[in-house]
Amino acid sequence: MRRRRGFSMERKKAMWGWLFVLPALVFFSAFSFYPIINAFYESFYNRNLLSLRPPRFVGWDNYTYLFRSKDFWLSVQNTAIFTLGTFIPLVLFSLLLAVCIMSIPRFRRFFQLSLYAPAVLSSVVAALIWLLIFDPRGLANQGMNALLGTSGVNYKWLSDTFMLRLSTIIVYFWKYIGYFTVLFVAGIGAIPYSLTEAALIDGANRWQLFWRITFPLLKPTTLLVSVMTMIQCLKTFSTQYLFSTSGAPTRPINVITLNIYNTAIKDYRIGRATAMSILLFLVMLVFTWLQLRLSRTEEVTFM
Amino acid sequence: MHTKKTRSWYLGHVSTGFMWFVLIAACVLVLIPLAFMFTASAMPARDILRLPYPWIPKGFYWPNFWNGIKGPEDDFIFFRNALNSLIVAGSVAFFTVVLSAITGYGLAKFKFKGRNLVFMLIMATMMIPFEAIMIPLYMVVMRMGLQDTYAGLILPFLANAFGVFLMRQYLITFPDEILDAARIDGAGEIRIFSSIVLPSSGPAIATLAILAFRSQWDSLLWPLLVVQSDEMKTIPLYITRYMAETHSDEGIMMAVAVLASLPMIVLFLTLSKYFVSKEGLTSATKG
Repeated sequence: MRRRRGFSMERKKAMWGWLFVLPALVFFSAFSFYPIINAFYESFYNRNLLSLRPPRFVGWDNYTYLFRSKDFWLSVQNTAIFTLGTFIPLVLFSLLLAVCIMSIPRFRRFFQLSLYAPAVLSSVVAALIWLLIFDPRGLANQGMNALLGTSGVNYKWLSDTFMLRLSTIIVYFWKYIGYFTVLFVAGIGAIPYSLTEAALIDGANRWQLFWRITFPLLKPTTLLVSVMTMIQCLKTFSTQYLFSTSGAPTRPINVITLNIYNTAIKDYRIGRATAMSILLFLVMLVFTWLQLRLSRTEEVTFM
Repeated sequence: MHTKKTRSWYLGHVSTGFMWFVLIAACVLVLIPLAFMFTASAMPARDILRLPYPWIPKGFYWPNFWNGIKGPEDDFIFFRNALNSLIVAGSVAFFTVVLSAITGYGLAKFKFKGRNLVFMLIMATMMIPFEAIMIPLYMVVMRMGLQDTYAGLILPFLANAFGVFLMRQYLITFPDEILDAARIDGAGEIRIFSSIVLPSSGPAIATLAILAFRSQWDSLLWPLLVVQSDEMKTIPLYITRYMAETHSDEGIMMAVAVLASLPMIVLFLTLSKYFVSKEGLTSATKG
């Protein structure tokens, strides 16, 4: 008797379990699983956004076209430059700032929040502010002239290839430096103080303390932050889009996402755009997989 | 365990002048563009690009804000666009929380065949970046006839793998005894969820809601694809349209920037702990 009742209770619970997850499954199917499967499918067709003709199967043509296209490789190069140029300084400086914050006795929260403040603004607003700062008569030139002792030199923030790329990197760096600093602060905070104390009692100086204790223990956080930054940088769009629509040359900042957008929306070439998306997806898959693995190992080491 | 101890000063209870210098310099540099936005929004355009930049506005120059709200075609569409942003970001936040809570609860507290598979499938979608599926997603939304509608802007973002993960982790520690006691008292499953589980998940819900709201308030790429009419534009699109149409007036641009940032700044100042919390941080990759 008891057993049967327990059994039916369990079945009832199982049914409720399914009912609770069912709505999510519907949404994930429609807006995640189907699109990604469809993306693979579309990348083998030459669909045109405006054309009413049914798309024709073209096999690997979209991919071979991309691999031969200079334009595509330029956006790969642009994305790579942007990613490397952003993530290395971001990781180094946020680590430095986090160590500084953890070393001062007061105002820790104040510094964290101030550094974090730009992350609150939307990327459109961020790009807008910096467009004015990078104006030939703007603050960037004034600052550089004051710093280098020159006068009236235009550093061409928005027109020179190198400077334009640097400008987009600066915008991104500015927006996310506080965010990653706070992540590192959490990482340092999670290191058991007994370890720090033991090292200090053993007579370690600050330099040794950082390199022998803090940095090795922060390795999982550092790796996680690095991968997260890389993933974010690979999909950068807003800054480049706004800079290019407001008159800066597009070529040096034509990153992958911008290229996908323009290929699909301006050139109407859906097949080619999805093929590009798939390639981006595969690259990001590797990074995301890394991130998931790292975030798991991080929990283990700190708990 | 170590909470008290870990708050102790790191690096041997000494802070050097160098560290203070680095921090203060970094803060000043980071806050300069913000100060520029606020001061410039109160200046006429001719002052903003004067050399050197004056920094302190001579009085508050209202026409910037007035023109910013009036819009490039004097139709005050700013209000409609701001409302759109609020509707979209608000609905995404609300429904993401509901859907994630329901799903997370189901995965955390019910045993059923295929539960692990469902969880793995949902987690796997974290590996699909939005940028990689936006074009097929756009085609889906077009086929459903949802371009240029609120539904088209909202629906694709409700299935949030990180949200499900967050809610599941949060609810997995919820004591089963309470749930069983309620069942014995004759409460139905939906009642248990809505009046016991949901009210006690406050912190996780707040973190998730703010995260979802922020990412939508910020969103540019998806609205660019889906929205066609000026009436359905969101704030980021209003700004880009304004930039394209009136290239010249820097004061107005900064006034619009201030207006667009106000809700976020208010949220940040009042709820900063949910912005700078560990859950809130490790998740932003999604947004």
